Amino acid sequence: ENISDFPLNITDCTQVVVPEEVFFTVAAAGILENLLILIAVVRNKNLHLPMYFFICSLAISDMLGSLYKTLENIFIILCKMGYLTRHGDFEKKLDDAMDSMFILSLLGSIFSLLAIAADRYITIFYALRYHNIMTLRRALVILAIIWAFCAGSSIAIALFSYEAATVIPFTILFPLMMCFILCLYVHMFLLARSHAKKIASLPSSTVHHRTNMKGAITLTIFLGVFLCCWAPFVLHILLARFCPHNPYCACYMSIFHVNGTLIMCNAIINPMIFAFRSPELRSTFKKMFYCSR
Amino acid sequence: MSALRLISNRTSQQALSNSDYTWDYEYYEYGPVSFEGLKAHKYSIVIGFWVGLAVFVIFMFFVLTLLTKTGAPHQDNTELSEKRFHMNSFVADFGRPLESERVFSHQMAEESQSLFHFCINEVDHMNKEKESQKGPSLESNTHFQEVPKSSGMFEEDLHCLTKFNIPNFVNTEQNSSLGEDDLLISEPPIIL
Repeated sequence: ENISDFPLNITDCTQVVVPEEVFFTVAAAGILENLLILIAVVRNKNLHLPMYFFICSLAISDMLGSLYKTLENIFIILCKMGYLTRHGDFEKKLDDAMDSMFILSLLGSIFSLLAIAADRYITIFYALRYHNIMTLRRALVILAIIWAFCAGSSIAIALFSYEAATVIPFTILFPLMMCFILCLYVHMFLLARSHAKKIASLPSSTVHHRTNMKGAITLTIFLGVFLCCWAPFVLHILLARFCPHNPYCACYMSIFHVNGTLIMCNAIINPMIFAFRSPELRSTFKKMFYCSR
Repeated sequence: MSALRLISNRTSQQALSNSDYTWDYEYYEYGPVSFEGLKAHKYSIVIGFWVGLAVFVIFMFFVLTLLTKTGAPHQDNTELSEKRFHMNSFVADFGRPLESERVFSHQMAEESQSLFHFCINEVDHMNKEKESQKGPSLESNTHFQEVPKSSGMFEEDLHCLTKFNIPNFVNTEQNSSLGEDDLLISEPPIIL
């Protein structure tokens, strides 16, 4: 098949290139931060709780995403320097493996966030029976099932990425999970609000309430960060599948590297909004750093 | 990312062999796209997408803010309002307030005592109401759990709890999401 050269308009959308230094810095920061969380949870026996295991799962999936980007950059640099051939079966298989790692990271992030939301939901609504419902063993089993499913799906998606049948479920999964997580948190919110009202209405209580913005801000940050970091990439996949030759779509796809950097930024921000809010984890970090001096 | 190159490669050029596969940043496989005769700005999808995303996030924020409104603000003395702020953030936030940790612990000790009395009353009330039905399920929950001695933040509360035979899952210093349950125990437990 012959690709004839069209005369391109001078207002062509060229690829927006992110400097490699920025890529590597953001990726390295993401990997280090999440690695610290894993080490802290492993070392501190007080943190061997289901909630922290789910946060670890999120840290692992963030780490995989950043690792993928770093490895891809390294391999492309090696290609440019000539150490690796550009064509060939080995490179193609390596490429497929790395693509499946990336999709594994995305699916792992989504399911980890879902697990964290579900864990908090059970904590609040089934408070008295939480320790019976969410035992450590069950949490580990849930995590094993989640990661097995994500690994299987990512390999399947990477192998059959050219079929619409894989792209569509992948892109539907994303908003579905977001809506579900949002519903869980909103329900928790409503309960917290009704509870606060009850406390205010106690005859002996002198506590009065005012509008509390902090919860709304927290929840908006949770979901807004995830949405802003992953949705551009998901849209890119959709457009690449369905309208690659449309000029508008092509212009959107030209900012692909910015979208990739956003995903790595998500790996840096997630620990701050999930893991570092726990005082026990913060004190573990302080002990780790002060003891090493 | 090369997966996306594969997507467009295979849809348009099924006959190509593996030797045409390359690993590179450029997306020349998408083919030359003609940019002539565009009605709207060429980055319209990009702009539209980000504007839509921003509007959605702000809309979500306003909906959540409306949900958290609990009534008209009252003007009390500053000390009570300080306590109030910590209590509110403790209830509605899913993590601990960062700056108020030390001050918070003393205030929480006092407040949670009054709350535990309240929830104990609730539990007793509920017990009297539906003694035959709820009794067995409550008894199964009223087992003690060990209180870790590592942090002394809620020692007063725990002492109060152990006196009143309420399931003591207050590992609050380790598990910040469980911390709010101190306050949420007063909800009648949802027995399925």
